[in-house]
Amino acid sequence: MERMTTKRARPLSPNIQIYRPQLTSVLSIANRITGVALSVFAVVLVIWLAAAASGPAAYSQLQTIIGSWPGQILFLIATFAFFLHLCGGIRHLVWDSVRAFELKQIYASGWAVVLLSAALTVISWLLNLLIAGHS
Amino acid sequence: MPRTDAFIVRSSDQVPKHPLLKRFPVPRNFGVTPGSRIERGRTWAAPAGAVRTKAFEIYRYDPDGDDNPRLDTFEVDLDACGPMVLDALIWIKNNVDPTLTFRRSCREGICGSCAMNIDGANWLACTRYIEETGTPAQIYPLANMRIIKDLVPDLTHVLAQYEMIEPWLQATTPAPDRERLQAPEDRAKLDGYYECILCFCCTSGCPSHWWNGDRFLGPAALLQAWRWLTDSRDEAAGERLDLLEDPFRLYRCHTILNCTRTCPKGLNPGKAIAQIKKMIVDRQS
Amino acid sequence: MRRFRIQTPLGRAVGLGSAKSGFGHWWTERITAAALVLPAIWFAASLIAHSGSDYDTFRRWLREPINTALMVLLLVTLFWHAALGLQVVIEDYVHSVAKIWALIVMRFACFALAAVGIIAALRIALGA
Ligand code: SF4
Ligand code: SF4
Ligand code: FES
Repeated sequence: MERMTTKRARPLSPNIQIYRPQLTSVLSIANRITGVALSVFAVVLVIWLAAAASGPAAYSQLQTIIGSWPGQILFLIATFAFFLHLCGGIRHLVWDSVRAFELKQIYASGWAVVLLSAALTVISWLLNLLIAGHS
Repeated sequence: MPRTDAFIVRSSDQVPKHPLLKRFPVPRNFGVTPGSRIERGRTWAAPAGAVRTKAFEIYRYDPDGDDNPRLDTFEVDLDACGPMVLDALIWIKNNVDPTLTFRRSCREGICGSCAMNIDGANWLACTRYIEETGTPAQIYPLANMRIIKDLVPDLTHVLAQYEMIEPWLQATTPAPDRERLQAPEDRAKLDGYYECILCFCCTSGCPSHWWNGDRFLGPAALLQAWRWLTDSRDEAAGERLDLLEDPFRLYRCHTILNCTRTCPKGLNPGKAIAQIKKMIVDRQS
Repeated sequence: MRRFRIQTPLGRAVGLGSAKSGFGHWWTERITAAALVLPAIWFAASLIAHSGSDYDTFRRWLREPINTALMVLLLVTLFWHAALGLQVVIEDYVHSVAKIWALIVMRFACFALAAVGIIAALRIALGA
């Protein structure tokens, strides 16, 4: 049993305010943020489908919004979030099978996820420009 | 070949060469209750005549006063003190401010007493070289703990969480007359787990334990849970798993792996937890 | 304000005891994640190929049975996985009575969005 010797409640030592950001925690929070962001983009997907179901007019209106500058920037963010969550998720599935837990592997796979998602984002946009440019 | 050292951490004792960020971009008092806010403390100059000095910023809290925690700065005479962070703390206590309070015993990384947050990561003060610290060196108690005084955290709760996993051998078979036999390869399964010194660097560095430490057991207790689950002499695996299978106790671990990054004994709590989860999969399917 | 309560440290740590569950949620989150990989990549590839398409091309594309099936599969796994993932996020950060309400609303929204999406996709595919 604790003895009440102090006049005031014990302070809590700082946690996130001082703890050094590391690849481990940064990628974990990134996986979470991208997951939440992708949930929001999933809502956009449903709106898009609903618009398409209601006819050509609503569909083309939505296409214009997506084609606008802010729409394209959001789309770029969504692309990166998608690949980061995909690659990060696969990394998590590997861990869940009790593999690649050595620190060296944790860091190597972490950087690989970052580089791969950036590369996939760039490649998919280039491909898209290429195809859209030809049609 | 490019030096990958700056990016790839190979063992937990490695100090980052070029940390991208020193701390998360959140306000200093983000989510901090008024009584826990850290105020500016005083600066203690080096003794006259000191040539090589280094500044140490140290978290102070005096339970007998009414003041909030504060951050004091001490100028340490490097020529007069030993090479480790713990030596600097002892030098300060002996030569500058005898009220500076911290735990230590073995000064060789085996008792776990001197665990604290050094330059933003948890480690043992006795096994961290002063040379490896930044300028100024930043010394806080273990993160996210109730503080008794200065660098002394109240470990009551995390020790109770350790007690909860029943860290002793359980068997219904009557005890043999001689020692309980164990095959060498089964004994080897305890390697990497039995060495835990209960310093709680891992639990105190786990963000999931920060937000849900009242219910999430944390990496230290869970590593110990695995140490008994994987012991071939133990007969209580079923009950142990029942105790652990809970959305908060076990499954609040999101494999962030701050624990593995920070364990000063080079152990792997994150892997231990993944093995517990896998054992539950094996039991279910 | 924390309510003052005299309780042993062990009593506090034990709390309400083990729920003896949690595996199901954790496992399903992984299964839906693995199940999402294929339809998600299909969807990304389709977007790359068709992002600028007009209405008729898009309609023709979604009417192909394989695409209809994959779109429905995507919506089911996506919102299932999202519901499980968002549940963890809410449980992690919300500690007031708002938690229960947030969980109910979130789950209902995921259900409703999946339903609306599937109905819309089928309407286009089956040509209402
Ligand atoms: S696992 Fe490592 S960091 Fe955690 S308590 Fe044990 S020795 Fe300390
Ligand atoms: S792996 Fe689990 S226990 Fe370790 S820091 Fe992450 S959440 Fe905490
Ligand atoms: S004094 Fe024992 S571990 Fe540092």
